Amino acid sequence: MILYLLCFTLLLVGLYGILTKRDLIKIILSASIMGYATNLLLILFAYRNGSIFPILRKGVETMPMVDPLPQALVLTSIVIELGTTALLVALALKLFQKYKTYDITKIRKLSG
Amino acid sequence: MDNKSGMTIIVKTITRITVPIIILYGCYIIFHGHLTPGGGFAGGVIIALALLNVMIAFGREFTNNWLNINFLEKLESISATLFLILGILGFLISSVFLFNFLSHGELFRLLSAGTIPVLNIIIGIKVAMSLFLVVWVLAGLKLDKGEEL
Repeated sequence: MILYLLCFTLLLVGLYGILTKRDLIKIILSASIMGYATNLLLILFAYRNGSIFPILRKGVETMPMVDPLPQALVLTSIVIELGTTALLVALALKLFQKYKTYDITKIRKLSG
Repeated sequence: MDNKSGMTIIVKTITRITVPIIILYGCYIIFHGHLTPGGGFAGGVIIALALLNVMIAFGREFTNNWLNINFLEKLESISATLFLILGILGFLISSVFLFNFLSHGELFRLLSAGTIPVLNIIIGIKVAMSLFLVVWVLAGLKLDKGEEL
């Protein structure tokens, strides 16, 4: 139970960063931290105490294995996270080209 | 290599030594994807990071001359198409998408598990090329030194 609470705390750390920071790069990093928290939660759901990774090896007896389905899901989730991060970075770079700053309080003008 | 772009001579020399080893390790992870932890995605990321290592150490201009970027873009599209073709072939053979129609072979052999190693190689190429090209495109944006508005 404490592990799930710590995972939720990690999500809150990311949310705090998104809501309070003014630097665009720090906001992007906070969004990544929120993604890591959700990935960690999915992996924790699949965990069983005293079990091994779900891969057969030569000369090793079969033992209780963790659930491989959330791990495959998390692999997809990591790829989507990469896509969103790349999109956010591209938008931040375009904003920097226009306004010469990453501070979101100084990006006020709608055009020009 | 006496141009001013990129980092110092120490970084360039170390990069020249380590990058082939990193690419070899990525190929190992891809080819043993059906036997050990890893697979197409993990190996593709390792290969992409090796190429990005070259881009950081030597600069973007050197990378443009060293690699054929147009060919890499075509390779990315071709690998996605090959994945689709393999899936549809399985559908035609047994009416299940991505059916494993090749011989499964013996357990724990390198040449086993039917189409899974082939799909791992295709995914590895796709992931390596797309991850490298994303950062390559982002590095091409011109950023002048910022001054306050």
